[in-house]
Amino acid sequence: MQATAAAVTGTVQKLDEASLIRAAQRGDERAFEELVRLYDQQVLRLAYNVLRSAEDANDIYQEAYMRVYRNLHAFRFDCSFQTWLYRIVTNLCLDALRKRKVRKEESGTVETADGSVDRMASVEEQRVHGNPQREVLAREMRERIDGALGGLTPRERMVFELRHYHGMRLRAIGETLGTSEEAAKNCLFRATQKMRAALGDLV
Amino acid sequence: MKCEEARKLLPMYLYGELAPSEEEACEAHVDECELCRVEMERQSRLNRLLEAQEEMLPAGMLTLARQQLRTRLAEERPHQGWRSWVRDIFNVRMRPTPAWMQAAAAAALIAAGYLGARVAPWGVSSAELYGRPVASRIQYVEPEKSGRVQIVMDVTRQRIVRGELNDADIQNLLMKATREAENAGVRVQSVELLKRDCGSDAIRNAVLGALQHDPDPGVRLVALDALRGFAWEPDTREALSQVLLTDRNPSVRTQVINVLVEQKQDAMIGVFQDLIRREDDAYVRQQCGRALHAMNASAEEY
Repeated sequence: MQATAAAVTGTVQKLDEASLIRAAQRGDERAFEELVRLYDQQVLRLAYNVLRSAEDANDIYQEAYMRVYRNLHAFRFDCSFQTWLYRIVTNLCLDALRKRKVRKEESGTVETADGSVDRMASVEEQRVHGNPQREVLAREMRERIDGALGGLTPRERMVFELRHYHGMRLRAIGETLGTSEEAAKNCLFRATQKMRAALGDLV
Repeated sequence: MKCEEARKLLPMYLYGELAPSEEEACEAHVDECELCRVEMERQSRLNRLLEAQEEMLPAGMLTLARQQLRTRLAEERPHQGWRSWVRDIFNVRMRPTPAWMQAAAAAALIAAGYLGARVAPWGVSSAELYGRPVASRIQYVEPEKSGRVQIVMDVTRQRIVRGELNDADIQNLLMKATREAENAGVRVQSVELLKRDCGSDAIRNAVLGALQHDPDPGVRLVALDALRGFAWEPDTREALSQVLLTDRNPSVRTQVINVLVEQKQDAMIGVFQDLIRREDDAYVRQQCGRALHAMNASAEEY
Protein backbone atom coordinates (compact mmCIF):
# COMPACT_ATOMS: atom_id res chain seq x y z
CA MET A 1 0.00 0.00 0.00
CA GLN A 2 2.73 2.43 0.96
CA ALA A 3 4.76 1.51 -2.08
CA THR A 4 1.71 2.08 -4.28
CA ALA A 5 1.03 5.41 -2.63
CA ALA A 6 4.59 6.53 -3.22
CA ALA A 7 4.41 5.48 -6.83
CA VAL A 8 1.14 7.35 -7.26
CA THR A 9 2.58 10.52 -5.72
CA GLY A 10 5.43 10.43 -8.15
CA THR A 11 3.09 10.02 -11.09
CA VAL A 12 0.59 12.58 -9.95
CA GLN A 13 3.13 15.37 -10.09
CA LYS A 14 3.50 14.84 -13.78
CA LEU A 15 -0.16 14.60 -14.54
CA ASP A 16 -1.92 17.44 -16.26
CA GLU A 17 -5.31 18.61 -15.08
CA ALA A 18 -7.33 16.35 -17.37
CA SER A 19 -5.38 13.26 -16.33
CA LEU A 20 -5.76 14.30 -12.73
CA ILE A 21 -9.52 14.54 -13.16
CA ARG A 22 -9.69 11.14 -14.84
CA ALA A 23 -7.59 9.56 -12.13
CA ALA A 24 -9.80 11.12 -9.45
CA GLN A 25 -12.88 9.87 -11.31
CA ARG A 26 -11.44 6.37 -11.05
CA GLY A 27 -11.22 6.80 -7.29
CA ASP A 28 -7.58 7.80 -6.92
CA GLU A 29 -7.64 9.70 -3.64
CA ARG A 30 -4.27 11.34 -4.08
CA ALA A 31 -5.23 12.61 -7.49
CA PHE A 32 -8.35 14.10 -5.96
CA GLU A 33 -6.31 15.83 -3.32
CA GLU A 34 -4.04 17.28 -6.01
CA LEU A 35 -7.08 18.41 -7.91
CA VAL A 36 -8.39 20.18 -4.82
CA ARG A 37 -5.10 22.00 -4.39
CA LEU A 38 -5.14 23.38 -7.93
CA TYR A 39 -7.77 25.99 -7.15
CA ASP A 40 -8.67 25.76 -3.50
CA GLN A 41 -6.81 28.87 -2.44
CA GLN A 42 -8.74 30.90 -5.02
CA VAL A 43 -11.96 29.26 -3.94
CA LEU A 44 -11.38 30.14 -0.31
CA ARG A 45 -10.32 33.69 -1.19
CA LEU A 46 -13.45 34.16 -3.29
CA ALA A 47 -15.76 32.93 -0.54
CA TYR A 48 -13.92 34.91 2.13
CA ASN A 49 -13.98 38.13 0.14
CA VAL A 50 -17.62 37.85 -0.78
CA LEU A 51 -18.92 36.71 2.59
CA ARG A 52 -16.40 38.54 4.78
CA SER A 53 -16.52 35.78 7.34
CA ALA A 54 -13.90 33.09 7.90
CA GLU A 55 -16.48 30.63 9.23
CA ASP A 56 -18.90 31.11 6.34
CA ALA A 57 -16.07 30.94 3.80
CA ASN A 58 -14.86 27.68 5.30
CA ASP A 59 -18.39 26.27 5.13
CA ILE A 60 -18.55 27.15 1.44
CA TYR A 61 -15.14 25.59 0.82
CA GLN A 62 -16.13 22.34 2.51
CA GLU A 63 -19.50 22.10 0.83
CA ALA A 64 -18.12 22.98 -2.61
CA TYR A 65 -15.44 20.31 -2.53
CA MET A 66 -17.79 17.70 -1.10
CA ARG A 67 -20.06 18.40 -4.07
CA VAL A 68 -17.11 18.13 -6.41
CA TYR A 69 -16.21 14.81 -4.80
CA ARG A 70 -19.74 13.44 -5.09
CA ASN A 71 -20.34 14.64 -8.63
CA LEU A 72 -16.94 14.37 -10.24
CA HIS A 73 -17.97 11.13 -11.93
CA ALA A 74 -20.54 13.15 -13.91
CA PHE A 75 -18.00 15.75 -15.10
CA ARG A 76 -17.74 15.29 -18.87
CA PHE A 77 -15.23 17.99 -19.84
CA ASP A 78 -17.98 20.07 -21.45
CA CYS A 79 -16.40 23.11 -19.85
CA SER A 80 -13.14 23.67 -18.01
CA PHE A 81 -12.85 22.15 -14.56
CA GLN A 82 -12.30 25.62 -13.13
CA THR A 83 -15.54 26.89 -14.63
CA TRP A 84 -17.40 23.84 -13.28
CA LEU A 85 -15.86 24.35 -9.85
CA TYR A 86 -16.56 28.07 -9.83
CA ARG A 87 -20.15 27.40 -10.83
CA ILE A 88 -20.56 25.33 -7.69
CA VAL A 89 -18.77 27.87 -5.52
CA THR A 90 -20.55 30.95 -6.88
CA ASN A 91 -23.94 29.26 -6.50
CA LEU A 92 -23.16 28.47 -2.87
CA CYS A 93 -21.92 32.03 -2.27
CA LEU A 94 -25.00 33.52 -3.94
CA ASP A 95 -27.27 31.36 -1.77
CA ALA A 96 -25.38 32.46 1.34
CA LEU A 97 -25.59 36.13 0.33
CA ARG A 98 -29.30 35.86 -0.38
CA LYS A 99 -29.99 34.14 2.92
CA ARG A 100 -27.97 36.75 4.71
CA LYS A 101 -29.91 39.54 3.00
CA VAL A 102 -33.21 37.95 4.01
CA ARG A 103 -31.99 37.55 7.59
CA LYS A 104 -30.90 41.17 7.68
CA GLU A 105 -34.18 42.42 6.30
CA GLU A 106 -36.15 40.29 8.73
CA SER A 107 -34.20 41.33 11.79
CA GLY A 108 -33.58 44.88 10.65
CA THR A 109 -30.11 44.84 12.19
CA VAL A 110 -26.60 44.80 10.89
CA GLU A 111 -24.81 41.52 11.61
CA THR A 112 -22.88 42.61 14.62
CA ALA A 113 -23.58 39.30 16.31
CA ASP A 114 -21.59 37.58 13.59
CA GLY A 115 -18.11 36.62 14.73
CA SER A 116 -16.85 37.56 11.32
CA VAL A 117 -17.30 41.23 12.04
CA ASP A 118 -15.13 40.96 15.11
CA ARG A 119 -12.57 39.03 13.15
CA MET A 120 -12.43 41.66 10.44
CA ALA A 121 -11.95 44.36 13.05
CA SER A 122 -9.09 42.46 14.64
CA VAL A 123 -7.37 41.96 11.28
CA GLU A 124 -7.68 45.68 10.69
CA GLU A 125 -6.20 46.52 14.04
CA GLN A 126 -3.21 44.29 13.45
CA ARG A 127 -2.51 45.86 10.11
CA VAL A 128 -2.24 49.48 11.28
CA HIS A 129 -1.26 48.78 14.82
CA GLY A 130 0.77 51.57 16.39
CA ASN A 131 -0.69 54.49 14.51
CA PRO A 132 -4.05 55.53 15.98
CA GLN A 133 -4.82 58.07 13.31
CA ARG A 134 -4.15 55.67 10.46
CA GLU A 135 -6.07 53.05 12.37
CA VAL A 136 -9.17 55.22 12.48
CA LEU A 137 -8.83 56.16 8.82
CA ALA A 138 -8.29 52.56 7.74
CA ARG A 139 -11.31 51.41 9.70
CA GLU A 140 -13.45 54.16 8.22
CA MET A 141 -12.28 53.29 4.74
CA ARG A 142 -13.00 49.63 5.35
CA GLU A 143 -16.46 50.41 6.60
CA ARG A 144 -17.16 52.64 3.63
CA ILE A 145 -16.09 49.96 1.18
CA ASP A 146 -17.94 47.22 3.03
CA GLY A 147 -21.02 49.45 3.01
CA ALA A 148 -20.70 50.06 -0.74
CA LEU A 149 -20.21 46.36 -1.48
CA GLY A 150 -23.15 45.59 0.79
CA GLY A 151 -25.30 47.85 -1.38
CA LEU A 152 -24.82 45.57 -4.39
CA THR A 153 -27.27 42.78 -5.16
CA PRO A 154 -25.80 39.29 -4.61
CA ARG A 155 -25.42 38.85 -8.35
CA GLU A 156 -23.77 42.23 -8.85
CA ARG A 157 -21.49 41.49 -5.92
CA MET A 158 -20.47 38.20 -7.45
CA VAL A 159 -19.81 39.59 -10.93
CA PHE A 160 -17.86 42.49 -9.44
CA GLU A 161 -15.80 40.11 -7.30
CA LEU A 162 -14.97 37.78 -10.18
CA ARG A 163 -14.00 40.60 -12.54
CA HIS A 164 -12.36 42.98 -10.15
CA TYR A 165 -10.55 40.68 -7.73
CA HIS A 166 -10.18 37.46 -9.70
CA GLY A 167 -9.52 38.99 -13.11
CA MET A 168 -12.00 36.71 -14.85
CA ARG A 169 -13.18 37.75 -18.30
CA LEU A 170 -16.85 38.59 -18.68
CA ARG A 171 -17.35 35.68 -21.05
CA ALA A 172 -16.07 33.25 -18.40
CA ILE A 173 -18.15 34.97 -15.73
CA GLY A 174 -21.25 34.53 -17.88
CA GLU A 175 -20.43 30.87 -18.38
CA THR A 176 -19.86 30.38 -14.66
CA LEU A 177 -23.08 32.10 -13.63
CA GLY A 178 -25.11 30.47 -16.37
CA THR A 179 -25.82 33.70 -18.22
CA SER A 180 -24.66 35.58 -21.34
CA GLU A 181 -21.57 37.73 -21.59
CA GLU A 182 -23.81 40.69 -22.28
CA ALA A 183 -25.88 40.11 -19.15
CA ALA A 184 -22.70 39.80 -17.09
CA LYS A 185 -21.48 43.07 -18.62
CA ASN A 186 -24.67 44.89 -17.68
CA CYS A 187 -24.43 43.50 -14.18
CA LEU A 188 -20.82 44.68 -13.86
CA PHE A 189 -21.78 48.08 -15.18
CA ARG A 190 -24.51 48.46 -12.54
CA ALA A 191 -22.06 47.37 -9.86
CA THR A 192 -19.40 49.90 -10.91
CA GLN A 193 -22.01 52.66 -11.04
CA LYS A 194 -23.11 51.89 -7.50
CA MET A 195 -19.54 51.70 -6.21
CA ARG A 196 -18.70 54.99 -7.93
CA ALA A 197 -21.73 56.68 -6.43
CA ALA A 198 -20.99 55.38 -2.94
CA LEU A 199 -17.23 55.98 -2.91
CA GLY A 200 -16.74 58.77 -5.46
CA ASP A 201 -15.77 61.31 -2.80
CA LEU A 202 -12.76 59.19 -1.81
CA VAL A 203 -11.00 59.62 -5.15
CA MET B 1 -19.28 60.03 -29.12
CA LYS B 2 -21.14 62.01 -26.47
CA CYS B 3 -19.96 62.35 -22.88
CA GLU B 4 -22.93 60.35 -21.53
CA GLU B 5 -22.07 57.42 -23.76
CA ALA B 6 -18.36 57.64 -22.92
CA ARG B 7 -19.07 57.63 -19.17
CA LYS B 8 -21.00 54.39 -19.60
CA LEU B 9 -18.11 52.76 -21.41
CA LEU B 10 -15.31 53.99 -19.15
CA PRO B 11 -15.49 51.26 -16.49
CA MET B 12 -15.54 48.54 -19.16
CA TYR B 13 -12.70 50.29 -20.97
CA LEU B 14 -10.60 50.11 -17.82
CA TYR B 15 -11.41 46.41 -17.46
CA GLY B 16 -10.43 45.86 -21.09
CA GLU B 17 -13.87 44.51 -21.86
CA LEU B 18 -14.81 46.68 -24.82
CA ALA B 19 -14.96 45.65 -28.44
CA PRO B 20 -12.05 47.15 -30.45
CA SER B 21 -14.27 49.68 -32.20
CA GLU B 22 -15.81 50.85 -28.91
CA GLU B 23 -12.37 51.05 -27.37
CA GLU B 24 -11.05 53.28 -30.13
CA ALA B 25 -14.08 55.56 -29.99
CA CYS B 26 -13.73 55.81 -26.21
CA GLU B 27 -10.05 56.68 -26.42
CA ALA B 28 -10.69 59.29 -29.08
CA HIS B 29 -13.34 60.95 -26.93
CA VAL B 30 -11.20 60.98 -23.77
CA ASP B 31 -8.33 62.54 -25.71
CA GLU B 32 -10.56 65.46 -26.62
CA CYS B 33 -12.73 65.79 -23.51
CA GLU B 34 -11.08 67.09 -20.33
CA LEU B 35 -14.04 66.22 -18.07
CA CYS B 36 -14.22 62.64 -19.23
CA ARG B 37 -10.45 62.29 -18.85
CA VAL B 38 -10.73 63.40 -15.25
CA GLU B 39 -13.58 60.97 -14.74
CA MET B 40 -11.53 58.15 -16.16
CA GLU B 41 -8.66 58.95 -13.81
CA ARG B 42 -11.00 58.98 -10.82
CA GLN B 43 -12.51 55.67 -11.84
CA SER B 44 -9.03 54.26 -12.21
CA ARG B 45 -8.03 55.53 -8.74
CA LEU B 46 -11.17 53.98 -7.27
CA ASN B 47 -10.26 50.63 -8.83
CA ARG B 48 -6.80 50.79 -7.31
CA LEU B 49 -8.22 51.74 -3.94
CA LEU B 50 -10.56 48.76 -3.99
CA GLU B 51 -7.76 46.43 -5.02
CA ALA B 52 -5.60 47.64 -2.14
CA GLN B 53 -8.40 46.93 0.30
CA GLU B 54 -8.83 43.30 -0.67
CA GLU B 55 -8.78 41.04 2.35
CA MET B 56 -5.99 38.49 2.50
CA LEU B 57 -6.83 35.07 3.89
CA PRO B 58 -6.05 34.86 7.61
CA ALA B 59 -2.96 32.77 8.31
CA GLY B 60 -3.71 29.11 8.80
CA MET B 61 -7.17 29.33 7.28
CA LEU B 62 -6.32 27.38 4.14
CA THR B 63 -4.49 24.69 6.12
CA LEU B 64 -7.44 24.32 8.43
CA ALA B 65 -9.88 24.12 5.52
CA ARG B 66 -7.80 21.44 3.81
CA GLN B 67 -7.52 19.48 7.00
CA GLN B 68 -11.25 19.56 7.62
CA LEU B 69 -11.92 18.54 4.06
CA ARG B 70 -9.59 15.57 4.39
CA THR B 71 -11.45 14.45 7.50
CA ARG B 72 -14.83 14.85 5.82
CA LEU B 73 -13.68 12.94 2.76
CA ALA B 74 -12.35 10.12 4.91
CA GLU B 75 -15.75 9.88 6.57
CA GLU B 76 -17.56 10.00 3.24
CA ARG B 77 -15.33 7.57 1.42
CA PRO B 78 -15.72 3.91 2.05
CA HIS B 79 -19.11 2.98 0.72
CA GLN B 80 -17.31 -0.33 0.21
CA GLY B 81 -17.13 -1.17 3.91
CA TRP B 82 -14.08 -1.85 5.95
CA ARG B 83 -13.49 -5.33 4.62
CA SER B 84 -12.37 -4.02 1.27
CA TRP B 85 -10.06 -1.61 3.06
CA VAL B 86 -8.51 -4.50 4.89
CA ARG B 87 -8.27 -6.38 1.62
CA ASP B 88 -6.52 -3.45 -0.05
CA ILE B 89 -4.13 -2.93 2.80
CA PHE B 90 -3.09 -6.52 3.10
CA ASN B 91 -3.65 -7.63 -0.44
CA VAL B 92 -5.07 -10.79 1.06
CA ARG B 93 -8.04 -12.65 -0.30
CA MET B 94 -10.83 -12.84 2.27
CA ARG B 95 -12.52 -16.12 3.02
CA PRO B 96 -15.85 -16.49 4.74
CA THR B 97 -15.39 -17.74 8.28
CA PRO B 98 -15.98 -21.51 8.39
CA ALA B 99 -19.03 -22.54 10.40
CA TRP B 100 -17.03 -24.71 12.79
CA MET B 101 -14.99 -21.72 13.79
CA GLN B 102 -17.98 -19.54 14.51
CA ALA B 103 -18.42 -21.29 17.81
CA ALA B 104 -15.01 -20.29 19.06
CA ALA B 105 -15.61 -17.85 21.82
CA ALA B 106 -12.34 -15.99 21.99
CA ALA B 107 -12.71 -12.33 21.14
CA ALA B 108 -9.94 -10.04 20.09
CA LEU B 109 -9.93 -6.44 21.06
CA ILE B 110 -7.70 -4.02 19.26
CA ALA B 111 -7.61 -0.47 20.45
CA ALA B 112 -4.44 0.66 18.75
CA GLY B 113 -5.45 4.10 17.50
CA TYR B 114 -3.31 4.25 14.40
CA LEU B 115 -4.22 0.78 13.34
CA GLY B 116 -7.93 1.31 13.82
CA ALA B 117 -7.83 4.72 12.18
CA ARG B 118 -6.45 3.38 8.95
CA VAL B 119 -8.84 0.50 8.77
CA ALA B 120 -11.87 2.65 8.62
CA PRO B 121 -15.31 2.51 9.03
CA TRP B 122 -18.83 1.65 8.18
CA GLY B 123 -20.94 -1.28 7.10
CA VAL B 124 -19.34 -3.69 9.50
CA SER B 125 -20.45 -7.28 9.42
CA SER B 126 -19.12 -9.55 12.12
CA ALA B 127 -17.00 -6.98 13.89
CA GLU B 128 -18.20 -3.94 15.79
CA LEU B 129 -16.60 -0.52 15.60
CA TYR B 130 -16.58 2.32 18.04
CA GLY B 131 -14.91 5.64 17.36
CA ARG B 132 -14.18 9.04 18.80
CA PRO B 133 -12.09 11.82 17.33
CA VAL B 134 -8.62 12.27 18.72
CA ALA B 135 -6.37 15.27 18.25
CA SER B 136 -3.04 13.85 17.27
CA ARG B 137 -0.77 16.66 16.16
CA ILE B 138 -0.85 20.40 16.63
CA GLN B 139 0.22 22.02 13.38
CA TYR B 140 -0.13 25.66 14.12
CA VAL B 141 -0.97 28.00 17.00
CA GLU B 142 -1.88 31.63 16.52
CA PRO B 143 -2.85 34.04 19.30
CA GLU B 144 -5.64 36.41 18.35
CA LYS B 145 -5.84 40.00 19.46
CA SER B 146 -9.06 39.36 21.36
CA GLY B 147 -7.14 37.06 23.71
CA ARG B 148 -8.52 33.95 22.08
CA VAL B 149 -6.29 31.53 20.25
CA GLN B 150 -6.55 29.70 16.96
CA ILE B 151 -5.16 26.18 16.87
CA VAL B 152 -4.81 24.12 13.71
CA MET B 153 -4.48 20.43 14.39
CA ASP B 154 -4.64 17.09 12.70
CA VAL B 155 -7.54 15.00 13.89
CA THR B 156 -7.48 11.26 13.59
CA ARG B 157 -10.25 8.96 14.59
CA GLN B 158 -9.56 6.24 17.08
CA ARG B 159 -11.62 3.12 16.58
CA ILE B 160 -12.19 -0.01 18.51
CA VAL B 161 -12.72 -3.11 16.46
CA ARG B 162 -14.30 -6.13 18.11
CA GLY B 163 -14.68 -9.56 16.63
CA GLU B 164 -14.10 -13.24 16.93
CA LEU B 165 -10.49 -14.31 16.95
CA ASN B 166 -11.17 -16.60 14.02
CA ASP B 167 -12.69 -13.77 11.96
CA ALA B 168 -10.47 -13.27 8.91
CA ASP B 169 -10.61 -9.49 9.27
CA ILE B 170 -9.57 -9.61 12.90
CA GLN B 171 -6.75 -11.93 12.00
CA ASN B 172 -5.60 -9.57 9.27
CA LEU B 173 -5.61 -6.69 11.73
CA LEU B 174 -3.58 -8.73 14.19
CA MET B 175 -1.08 -9.63 11.50
CA LYS B 176 -0.82 -5.98 10.59
CA ALA B 177 -0.29 -5.16 14.25
CA THR B 178 2.61 -7.60 14.44
CA ARG B 179 4.32 -5.60 11.71
CA GLU B 180 3.27 -2.04 12.32
CA ALA B 181 2.15 -1.36 15.88
CA GLU B 182 4.63 1.03 17.43
CA ASN B 183 4.19 -0.35 20.92
CA ALA B 184 6.11 -3.60 21.43
CA GLY B 185 3.51 -4.67 24.00
CA VAL B 186 0.82 -4.50 21.31
CA ARG B 187 2.99 -6.60 19.02
CA VAL B 188 3.56 -9.20 21.76
CA GLN B 189 -0.17 -9.38 22.44
CA SER B 190 -0.95 -9.70 18.73
CA VAL B 191 1.49 -12.58 18.25
CA GLU B 192 0.08 -14.25 21.37
CA LEU B 193 -3.42 -14.04 19.96
CA LEU B 194 -2.38 -15.37 16.57
CA LYS B 195 -0.57 -18.31 18.17
CA ARG B 196 -3.57 -20.61 18.18
CA ASP B 197 -4.09 -20.26 14.43
CA CYS B 198 -0.53 -20.81 13.24
CA GLY B 199 -1.87 -23.64 11.08
CA SER B 200 -2.79 -21.04 8.49
CA ASP B 201 0.07 -20.21 6.12
CA ALA B 202 -0.57 -16.47 6.23
CA ILE B 203 -0.52 -16.36 10.01
CA ARG B 204 2.51 -18.62 10.31
CA ASN B 205 4.37 -16.37 7.88
CA ALA B 206 3.36 -13.30 9.86
CA VAL B 207 4.62 -14.86 13.08
CA LEU B 208 7.78 -16.00 11.33
CA GLY B 209 8.21 -12.44 10.07
CA ALA B 210 7.97 -11.19 13.65
CA LEU B 211 10.61 -13.70 14.73
CA GLN B 212 12.95 -12.71 11.94
CA HIS B 213 12.48 -8.96 11.85
CA ASP B 214 10.97 -7.59 15.03
CA PRO B 215 13.45 -5.28 16.78
CA ASP B 216 12.20 -6.27 20.23
CA PRO B 217 13.57 -9.60 21.60
CA GLY B 218 10.42 -10.04 23.74
CA VAL B 219 8.29 -10.13 20.60
CA ARG B 220 10.72 -12.51 18.93
CA LEU B 221 10.57 -14.88 21.92
CA VAL B 222 6.76 -14.96 21.86
CA ALA B 223 6.85 -15.56 18.11
CA LEU B 224 9.30 -18.39 18.62
CA ASP B 225 7.02 -19.93 21.21
CA ALA B 226 4.12 -19.71 18.75
CA LEU B 227 6.14 -21.59 16.15
CA ARG B 228 7.30 -24.31 18.52
CA GLY B 229 4.63 -26.71 17.29
CA PHE B 230 5.66 -26.21 13.65
CA ALA B 231 9.38 -26.80 13.88
CA TRP B 232 8.84 -30.18 12.24
CA GLU B 233 8.05 -28.46 8.94
CA PRO B 234 11.15 -28.15 6.76
CA ASP B 235 10.45 -24.51 5.84
CA THR B 236 9.89 -23.42 9.41
CA ARG B 237 12.91 -25.38 10.57
CA GLU B 238 15.04 -23.75 7.92
CA ALA B 239 13.85 -20.32 9.03
CA LEU B 240 14.57 -21.18 12.67
CA SER B 241 18.08 -22.29 11.72
CA GLN B 242 18.68 -18.91 10.12
CA VAL B 243 17.41 -17.15 13.23
CA LEU B 244 19.72 -19.26 15.34
CA LEU B 245 22.73 -18.13 13.34
CA THR B 246 21.77 -14.49 12.97
CA ASP B 247 19.69 -13.31 15.95
CA ARG B 248 21.57 -10.79 18.08
CA ASN B 249 19.97 -11.81 21.35
CA PRO B 250 21.48 -14.80 23.30
CA SER B 251 18.12 -15.63 24.96
CA VAL B 252 16.46 -15.94 21.58
CA ARG B 253 19.30 -18.11 20.28
CA THR B 254 19.10 -20.33 23.37
CA GLN B 255 15.36 -20.76 22.95
CA VAL B 256 15.75 -21.59 19.27
CA ILE B 257 18.18 -24.32 20.28
CA ASN B 258 15.58 -25.69 22.71
CA VAL B 259 12.90 -25.73 20.03
CA LEU B 260 15.10 -27.32 17.39
CA VAL B 261 16.59 -29.95 19.63
CA GLU B 262 13.10 -31.26 20.33
CA GLN B 263 12.87 -32.19 16.67
CA LYS B 264 15.85 -34.50 16.91
CA GLN B 265 16.51 -33.95 13.23
CA ASP B 266 19.94 -34.98 12.07
CA ALA B 267 19.92 -32.07 9.69
CA MET B 268 20.17 -29.82 12.74
CA ILE B 269 23.51 -31.23 13.79
CA GLY B 270 25.39 -29.24 11.16
CA VAL B 271 23.61 -26.06 12.19
CA PHE B 272 24.51 -26.57 15.85
CA GLN B 273 28.12 -27.35 14.96
CA ASP B 274 28.21 -24.20 12.84
CA LEU B 275 26.82 -22.17 15.74
CA ILE B 276 29.16 -23.54 18.38
CA ARG B 277 32.14 -22.42 16.28
CA ARG B 278 31.00 -18.85 15.90
CA GLU B 279 29.05 -18.31 19.11
CA ASP B 280 30.45 -15.63 21.46
CA ASP B 281 28.09 -16.22 24.34
CA ALA B 282 29.33 -18.92 26.70
CA TYR B 283 25.84 -19.93 27.85
CA VAL B 284 24.57 -20.34 24.32
CA ARG B 285 27.67 -22.35 23.44
CA GLN B 286 27.03 -24.56 26.44
CA GLN B 287 23.39 -25.09 25.46
CA CYS B 288 24.43 -25.86 21.95
CA GLY B 289 26.93 -28.44 23.22
CA ARG B 290 24.20 -30.05 25.30
CA ALA B 291 21.90 -30.18 22.31
CA LEU B 292 24.55 -31.93 20.26
CA HIS B 293 25.21 -34.31 23.11
CA ALA B 294 21.47 -35.09 23.36
CA MET B 295 21.53 -35.87 19.64
CA ASN B 296 24.58 -38.11 20.14
CA ALA B 297 26.66 -35.81 18.04
CA SER B 298 30.05 -34.27 18.54
CA ALA B 299 30.67 -30.57 18.80
CA GLU B 300 33.20 -30.91 16.00
CA GLU B 301 32.48 -31.45 12.34
CA TYR B 302 34.04 -34.48 10.76
